[in-house]
Amino acid sequence: MEYVSPEGLRLDGRRPTEMRQLRAEIGAVSKADGSAVFEMGNTKVIAAVYGPREVQNRSQQINDQALVRCEYSMANFSTGDRVRKPKGDRRSIEISLVIRQTMEACIMTHLMPRSQIDIFVQVLQADGVSSYSCVSLSCSLPLIDHPHFMNYPKNNQSCGGMEGADYVNRTRSACINAATLALADAGIPMHDLATSCSAGYLNSTPLLDLNYIEDSAGGADVTVGILPTLDKVTLLQMDAKLPTNIFEDVMQLATEGCKAIANYIREVLVENTKQLEYRRGS
Amino acid sequence: MNQALLKLISSSLLCFSKLLSPLRSSLLSCRVDVAPLPSPVAAIGKTSHAEVKEGMVGLSEGEKEFIKGGIAQDLRTDGRKRYTYRPIYIETGVIPQANGSARVRLGATDVIASVKAELGKPSALQPDKGKVAIFVDCSPTAEPTFEVNFGSSPFQVYDFVDSGPLQVKAYLLCTQGRGGEELSAELSGTLQRCLLGSKSGAGAGIDLSSLVIVEGKVCWDLYIDGLVLSSDGNLLDALGAAIKAALSNTGIPSVHVAAEASNDEQPEVDISDEEFLQFDTSGVPVIVTLTKVGKYYIVDATSEEESQMSSAVSISINRQGHICGMTKRGGFGIDPSVILDMISVANFVSRQLIDKLDSEISAAEADEDES
Repeated sequence: MEYVSPEGLRLDGRRPTEMRQLRAEIGAVSKADGSAVFEMGNTKVIAAVYGPREVQNRSQQINDQALVRCEYSMANFSTGDRVRKPKGDRRSIEISLVIRQTMEACIMTHLMPRSQIDIFVQVLQADGVSSYSCVSLSCSLPLIDHPHFMNYPKNNQSCGGMEGADYVNRTRSACINAATLALADAGIPMHDLATSCSAGYLNSTPLLDLNYIEDSAGGADVTVGILPTLDKVTLLQMDAKLPTNIFEDVMQLATEGCKAIANYIREVLVENTKQLEYRRGS
Repeated sequence: MNQALLKLISSSLLCFSKLLSPLRSSLLSCRVDVAPLPSPVAAIGKTSHAEVKEGMVGLSEGEKEFIKGGIAQDLRTDGRKRYTYRPIYIETGVIPQANGSARVRLGATDVIASVKAELGKPSALQPDKGKVAIFVDCSPTAEPTFEVNFGSSPFQVYDFVDSGPLQVKAYLLCTQGRGGEELSAELSGTLQRCLLGSKSGAGAGIDLSSLVIVEGKVCWDLYIDGLVLSSDGNLLDALGAAIKAALSNTGIPSVHVAAEASNDEQPEVDISDEEFLQFDTSGVPVIVTLTKVGKYYIVDATSEEESQMSSAVSISINRQGHICGMTKRGGFGIDPSVILDMISVANFVSRQLIDKLDSEISAAEADEDES
């Protein structure tokens, strides 16, 4: 299958180094200390942060730093085919751990000893069967409202079987970006804004921010999380295999993606702060 | 003797609870030995080491009095009267992957409902009706205690409810540590009862026979999923409103039965991706929850007010003023005459609520069409 056309356009009309549409909003959950919605194309994630606050379970208290906890959950309706999964399955636990470790690396935990910070990430929508609505999205047409009935999975199955768990992997970048924004909204001291983005390699072209079809094509998928101003990598995951020199290019591309996301997040934060200032009337 | 001991422990609990949490946990195990209630005892007994947590909403005695006093004088802490709802905001079409969806915000309470339709087979008992199921999930974003791995033990005592003159403390047990599953189950069950009527499908808010494609062979199965994103009391009314909005936002693809199959074969169906059928949602009831605090009852309680409730009655009422379902929560008894009184209040309130919802839903749909 051809993932990059001779004109250099991808299936959803993007260029190889183009990201899906980003959208972020601060303060989606009014009861939380900090919260944010982050959208990357068809993936939509809400993150809420509670804390720093008293440690709930004394035995977990750490005397010289804050305890960071994270939980990831997926809404029943977030995927194309409706599956009711038990909470706390292995995939969710794994991705919770990934998010927690990434965020822990950028939070100044030593400033808040004997306290606890909770990060909750809820996936509202995962890019999936409705991949064709992705096409319409990048052409800025309204989303197809009923992709579920259009028998798309059939042609997708030929390019890699679709397991429910794969949805989980595809949402991790959006989760980390949402968590960063929510932590910033909560006013938790951080070294930097940790951001994450993925890149892949198909048709001998490095591709930024894979969508559903490209991700299920079976090529390599590199997810990178960085601290952009400190220029440090905090998360690196890759599946399938790549020659070392190509891996460098792909990772470079993903890193560039992270930086672009970091710029976007910073813009959103500045805009939000301006709004707050305006509302306070100073 | 038991009663006297209980009284003593309860009053000392009251005094020391804020100051000495270790003492409180030791008193708690004391209470286990004398408590006459069988089920909580078993639960506490199993996990006597369970950490005793502060109430969900940490309120001081003064604040509690303030809330109760305000309700008694028909001026609540946020300036509302007893029978006034918070402003309702509705957004439809929020989940593109679903057939219909809506997000409802009621103060700080924020819920999403989605409707998904799948082809299925009608049950043998009702070959002329489709199936509808409601599931509700509580996201940990709403309340950290909905987290799956909250705390170390599956059972935790999380709140003390003061029953007033009796001076007996009741323990509310919550199976925390499983992601607010008990609350989810309670909400799902209540919504099923209130919106879908009896098992036979009679009295359902939507016409189940309109979901049938080929009698006895093919029908639509509707899966209604609710998700609580943020919780500030009155989840049930908000979820009910969200489901009503999501249903009126739902388009079910029209289906053409390709060929008449013989009796035992599944007929082939052709699903149209252009034509959609809308539901008639005028019959879907609204849910009005009346929360009893002290001598009075209020609608649309916030979580602070809910923490002071003795019991709550949820009544689902349709446009004709018929009661479609009812549930009582909270452990304290209500006088039957009060219930009848509550029903007439709910009837009055529901009319305003239905009008408000209908105008909000049509405004939301108009917004969605524009964008």
